[in-house]
Amino acid sequence: MLKLKFNKYKFFEMLSPVIGFFAAMVVLLILVILVGETPRNAIVAIYKLTLSTPARMATVLSIAIPLFISGLAVSLAFRAGVFNIGVEGQYYVGGLVGALIGIYLPLPPIIHIPMVIIFAMIGGALWALIPALLKATKGIHEVISTIMFNNIALAFVNYLVNGPLSGITEKSQLEAQTGKILDTALFGKLNGFFRALGWPVPDYVYLDYSLIVAVIMGFFIWFLLFKTRYGFEIRAVGTSIDVSHYAGIRVKKTQIGAFLLSGALAGLIGLQEIFAIRGFYTYEIASGLGFDGIAIALIGRNSPLGVIFAALLFAFLKQAGYGLQLHTGVSNSIIYVITGSMILFIVVFNELIARYIRALRRKEIS
Amino acid sequence: MSGTVLLRMEEITKTFPGVRANDKVSFDLKSGEIHALVGENGAGKTTLMKILYGLQKPDSGTIYLKNQAVSIKNPKDAIHQGIGMVHQHFMLVPPFTVLENIILGEESHRAGVLNMNIPAAKITEIIRENGLQVELNTNVEDLPVGLQQRVEILKVLYRGAEILVFDEPTAVLTPKKAKELFDTFRRMKEQGKGIIFISHKLDEVLTIADRITVIRRGRVIKTLERTEASKPLIAELMVGKPVFLEVDKKSKAAGRVILKTYDLQATSERGHKVLNGINLQVHAGEIYGIAGVEGNGQTELIEAIGQRVKLDAGDIQLEGESILTWDVRRRRDEGIGHIPEDRHKCGLLLPFSLADNITLGRHHQPPFVKKFQIIDKKQIRAYSRETIESFDIRTPSELTPANALSGGNQQRVIIAREMRFEPKLLVAAQPTRGVDIGAMEFIYSQLIRARDQGKAVLLISADLDEILSLADRVGVIFKGRIIKEFRREDTSREEIGFYMTGEQESA
Repeated sequence: MLKLKFNKYKFFEMLSPVIGFFAAMVVLLILVILVGETPRNAIVAIYKLTLSTPARMATVLSIAIPLFISGLAVSLAFRAGVFNIGVEGQYYVGGLVGALIGIYLPLPPIIHIPMVIIFAMIGGALWALIPALLKATKGIHEVISTIMFNNIALAFVNYLVNGPLSGITEKSQLEAQTGKILDTALFGKLNGFFRALGWPVPDYVYLDYSLIVAVIMGFFIWFLLFKTRYGFEIRAVGTSIDVSHYAGIRVKKTQIGAFLLSGALAGLIGLQEIFAIRGFYTYEIASGLGFDGIAIALIGRNSPLGVIFAALLFAFLKQAGYGLQLHTGVSNSIIYVITGSMILFIVVFNELIARYIRALRRKEIS
Repeated sequence: MSGTVLLRMEEITKTFPGVRANDKVSFDLKSGEIHALVGENGAGKTTLMKILYGLQKPDSGTIYLKNQAVSIKNPKDAIHQGIGMVHQHFMLVPPFTVLENIILGEESHRAGVLNMNIPAAKITEIIRENGLQVELNTNVEDLPVGLQQRVEILKVLYRGAEILVFDEPTAVLTPKKAKELFDTFRRMKEQGKGIIFISHKLDEVLTIADRITVIRRGRVIKTLERTEASKPLIAELMVGKPVFLEVDKKSKAAGRVILKTYDLQATSERGHKVLNGINLQVHAGEIYGIAGVEGNGQTELIEAIGQRVKLDAGDIQLEGESILTWDVRRRRDEGIGHIPEDRHKCGLLLPFSLADNITLGRHHQPPFVKKFQIIDKKQIRAYSRETIESFDIRTPSELTPANALSGGNQQRVIIAREMRFEPKLLVAAQPTRGVDIGAMEFIYSQLIRARDQGKAVLLISADLDEILSLADRVGVIFKGRIIKEFRREDTSREEIGFYMTGEQESA
């Protein structure tokens, strides 16, 4: 049962991303003016590519799917006090393991799709396993080890796709890639379903099964974190290792568990691109999604619900960047400036609002 | 002996949202005077000192230094006007040497190249004048707490402070070190400096202060000359009602052995022998007090009982069963309750609700979890409401986050949690450190109650009076060994003090 009770503290806490967003938009418009464009043109350009038609909006949602999963993966680890910077590498490896099942293991669709999803998760978790063990047994900080593992993953995957797993049959194919994924493992689209609901999503937009995976995972993580004992322990460890230790919580096990689950989620980031868009695995799958996840987790305040909004916001901004590039003289890369300044604003307002809330609570008590 | 007025704070008012932290507070300090500032936690002492040190701006009121109205905008300003503050939590850079720490921010240099000789000479002079012996080239992290405090004092003196503010300086010190600190106070007093001394320990205040100002709820209740002050009077002024610090404790026959340690030995990471054969027994219905100067193995003993740590030898038994292989959870589940020494670090999940904190440690057991380890919020809340009520924790609701509570109330939450888990053994480490008299009274009564309910209580405290008022038996710890045990009624403060310093070894 969802109880919708107005809580003024929760409301204040939610304010900072909103303020941060609008402050960043002001920065954007100032930059636009400096470049010599009119704010009006910029706003129109952004609007055209993001919100002007149902198709555009569906595209934003489509882009948001992998971003959401990435943000979810990072935020789960953050909750346990683990800085999983290795989401990038974990999704490269997870995606490949899932793809291998999709390419080489003939199965009926009803089993094949769940299997590739499960193996993508296993692959991602395995790639997180070594940094997790290094942290638990040797005290090696996960930020260092996961950054290294990102590089190893990239090189490793590059080698496999160019070498043993190469599926190139004709010389005309330039992009290194694996063989084709079997039809039984390909993700279908939900566009028809949305059209039936009255949202005219055109065929070329990818609202595929990965959306279902994202929704299920989002709900699962929310339930885990806030409704179960394990989630409570994850949040406790992320808040204070000392207090948790004194309370008898097995701190290391909890952190390893959250780390692996984070890696498993990371393994799902590539589903859309590999199984719905391309139909094969390549070294060229979108890079940087793992790093976007860090910012998304931060903006979403590490809560599954917050990460939904943050992922949509990021998807919106990515599209907005293309819009600016297409219709004005403003470069696409301005979006990096905007996301950066937005994060900065949000962090600052978070702190200010947290102070205000503390003062309010004290007042309430006295 | 007291001379000219160094400092006068007049009608200082400071309001925080909802709280009048200082309400027309007037306070003055003469040269060659030690002026104690006492009051419960949250009474407004710290705010007043923050205003003096430029960390807070008053809403109204004036500060006069030597009869000149001044405005102090920030700590740098305060330092330049001759005001120095020795914080409760030290502001030192651990890997830096003593000398580097002292000059930090006031480095003397030529074209950016540090000159260490001039300050070193000056500091040596200050050390000599004030009896603050400390090795200048040692790294601060290698110094014991008492010496780190000296470095803080030297920092302040090096900057030429005339007015020195000490915020609960003895909270971290052993009785012997506290005495040395007071010697330093007296020397500084002779040099005509003024000292503001904030403390909870009324004995100390009466020993060292010339005048005592009592603050309650943001107002000055009274400023007393030492000659007219007494412990009951100050205590009464502080809390607004007479407080009985005498503990009402009925004699009671102790029961079976609950905790037994057997030749415990442990070595620290640095290779020191920290536990050197601890043998002790705590019975049901008994408070066993461990007296000793801090750093003689108390912390390590508590850790060995509460957590799985590496021991060189020995055994710990709970009701005859060895607990060495048990992890923290198992130990808790089997009935070891723990009031941690460092409450801020180990006690509460501050952003979490009181309900979460009150069940923390048993949160994994029914009735707090249902099938499939799903949290039963209803049960947690009901249990917490009961706890809040029966332990008189002042909070708007059980869903309020712990960090919204005052320090004393936070300590109540920890004690209530441990008591309600009905442990067989309750380990209480420095349970009243830094709490006000009201909270102290509560803690004492709870420890006695635990004992009367037949729990075994192991009390570790740096406060000898606390041990003497609560314990049924006292063990004196020295260099990792219990060197002497007494029944409470067979011993005295002097006798325990004698053993605490390890005197009998040389005697």
